[in-house]
Amino acid sequence: MSDKQTAARSLERGRARWGWIFVAPGLLFFSVFSFYPILNAFYTSFFNKKLLSLKAPKFVGVQNYAKVVASPDFWNSVRATFTFALGAFVPLFLLSLIFAVLISSRRRFKRAAQMALYSPAVLSSAVAALIWLLVFDPRGLANQFVNWIAGTPGIDRKWLADATMVQISTIIVYVWKYVGYFTILFITGIGKIPQSVNEAALIDGAGPLQRFFRITLPLLRPTTVLVSVMILIQCLKTFSTQYLFTQRGAPIGPVNVLTLNIYNTALRDQNLGRASVMSVLLFLFMLFLSWAQLRFSRSEEAEL
Amino acid sequence: MQRFTRATLFSLAAILAAATAFAQAPAVPELKGKSVEITIWTHEDANRAPLEKGYIAEFTAANPGVKVNYVTYPSGKIREIVTTGFAANQGPTIFNLELFDEYPFLANGRVAPVDFKMVGVKNAKELEAKYLPGMIAPVMDGGKVYGLPLELTNWCIYLNKKIFRDAGLDPDKDWPKTWEEVMAVSERIVQRNGQIITRRGFDFRYPYYLTSVVPMVEQLGGELIAKDGKTAIVGDAAWLKVLSYFREFGPNGKNLGSPTYTAARNLFDLDKNEVAMSLSGLYQEARMKAKNPAFYESKDWMVIPFPQWKDAKKRVPNNYYGHYYMVNAQASKLEQQAAWALLGYMLSHGEEYLAKVAVVQPTKALMESPTFKSMPYSNVFATDMAAAHMVYYGASSSKIDAALKEAFESVMLAGVEPQKALEKLRKDVAAILAEE
Repeated sequence: MSDKQTAARSLERGRARWGWIFVAPGLLFFSVFSFYPILNAFYTSFFNKKLLSLKAPKFVGVQNYAKVVASPDFWNSVRATFTFALGAFVPLFLLSLIFAVLISSRRRFKRAAQMALYSPAVLSSAVAALIWLLVFDPRGLANQFVNWIAGTPGIDRKWLADATMVQISTIIVYVWKYVGYFTILFITGIGKIPQSVNEAALIDGAGPLQRFFRITLPLLRPTTVLVSVMILIQCLKTFSTQYLFTQRGAPIGPVNVLTLNIYNTALRDQNLGRASVMSVLLFLFMLFLSWAQLRFSRSEEAEL
Repeated sequence: MQRFTRATLFSLAAILAAATAFAQAPAVPELKGKSVEITIWTHEDANRAPLEKGYIAEFTAANPGVKVNYVTYPSGKIREIVTTGFAANQGPTIFNLELFDEYPFLANGRVAPVDFKMVGVKNAKELEAKYLPGMIAPVMDGGKVYGLPLELTNWCIYLNKKIFRDAGLDPDKDWPKTWEEVMAVSERIVQRNGQIITRRGFDFRYPYYLTSVVPMVEQLGGELIAKDGKTAIVGDAAWLKVLSYFREFGPNGKNLGSPTYTAARNLFDLDKNEVAMSLSGLYQEARMKAKNPAFYESKDWMVIPFPQWKDAKKRVPNNYYGHYYMVNAQASKLEQQAAWALLGYMLSHGEEYLAKVAVVQPTKALMESPTFKSMPYSNVFATDMAAAHMVYYGASSSKIDAALKEAFESVMLAGVEPQKALEKLRKDVAAILAEE
């Protein structure tokens, strides 16, 4: 081995060591606050563990899984979660894409528009839900605004009181809160598209719509996949809005999403075993989505 | 000379006052020369916190080795905070919750028995003798007592006379005695902008269904749990009548109130022509006095008993519920001794709690005291309480309360038929009991 090769290898080792040092805090944080709880939830899901009990939990095999799967409440939560995820997905995806294209095409006030859209994402979910509770109050802004637009004074839209409306209300809060975040992701994706491609199309006489559908959208596919999966995962984790709305009188059935059910099963019913089962099932589904996204992204890269 | 005498008198009075204050708190021999730190988690109450902090200051002055951390949390959050703390074995030394939330801590062996010596009594019998009959029983197990009552509360209806008069009603004659009258009077009083209610006659206290709605069922002969302790939701006719009443009362019926409007008791104190009647305890008087002294001092409000059905089979007022101070079983013996000694001292000031916070410690002495008797409408609360019983409590009471909330609100808000909601409720409560 030549001196040059030895020196290169030593340099590489030195870099790798520094790499590990820089990554270590992140790894440690992930291991303690994410990986350990995941493993612990898997373990707990096979035990009859009660939150306040000081007795050693009893191993019950897959009994907790059988009880959860046989419970209509669990399936109602699955329905509520997917209704919410799909209901929020479509407007979130479309609005963030439209806003991204509009902002990217502007020459001035780009940053201001991005900041304005992103600002709700900075708020904690609980604060956002509290703001919207005031808006959705029967005498609040939501009724006044819709009645003014529709010319129907005095109609109570029952934003929190009606089974369908309360689901729509939670979706509105979520779209409002996260549309800025996903817009930024789309703007980054659009920024990666070579300007020369757009310019060539412009010279060839392509209009704005043609350029969007023939150039921007196809070249944005990796970002589109990433954003779609992220929206879905984000929606599956929704909790604070549903929790606060039901605390303030909204009926729980229509918005009893899986995370809320997990929370109530663990803290109110004190059944950690069953709460862990639901957590594991939710985790597995999100893992599947992440795997699908990675797989799709790789095939996209191969095609490109 | 006169100046000197006055100054001397002032100084002497100050010394005497300080000495009296310190003398109130006992110097506990078991804590002498020892260092101990205890933590109290309790719910927020703007009137109670300064009072208790004062007692803590007196206690720690008499027992300098004791340090007390007094932490308050919002009422809606404290249950989960205390539960999470205990689940992580990091619970406070002292805490209080509503009895039906607190009972699972007792059932799971998480709380320590009362140290009688530290609270100044000889035994359980002597402690029980200080309280009204049945007040200690909910926190007794195997002959041991696991908590001391901070407050015992029952709810009656606060009524705004001005709103009654404005609706053409005579509050002294037309106040509702039955649930049918509550509905009728509410229809007279309610004001709306289209469908949106701007003034309510009466509204329930959501989501306290165990406390306030189960008595409505019991008036009609129904039961939450039968005497055998196993059969759930007894007396379908009674349950269906109450469920139907809620449906009729709510936004899909006569639109007289709903859980999604601001809590009636919060608006009542403001006296802004928004709510004519709201359910609350005697403590609401102190809150009203603090929030709106002019209204409190006026003659424009009164308190009426908990209504009964026209065809009630028995008189059942609103259930009473208790907040008990409990001590963490995982605390060291010294911490437990300090905790019970402090609680014994704090809770020996029942009349001050009543006068400043308007919470009722159910001691015989307090109920007979001039302080209690001079509180406006305390006789209404006392009469109702004498005929009432303690709210249901058990290892799964929180879960049962949640099942009731789901049933009643599904009927009231989500358009579920009472019969269907009743069947689900029965199934849910039976499953909860089967798992206990």
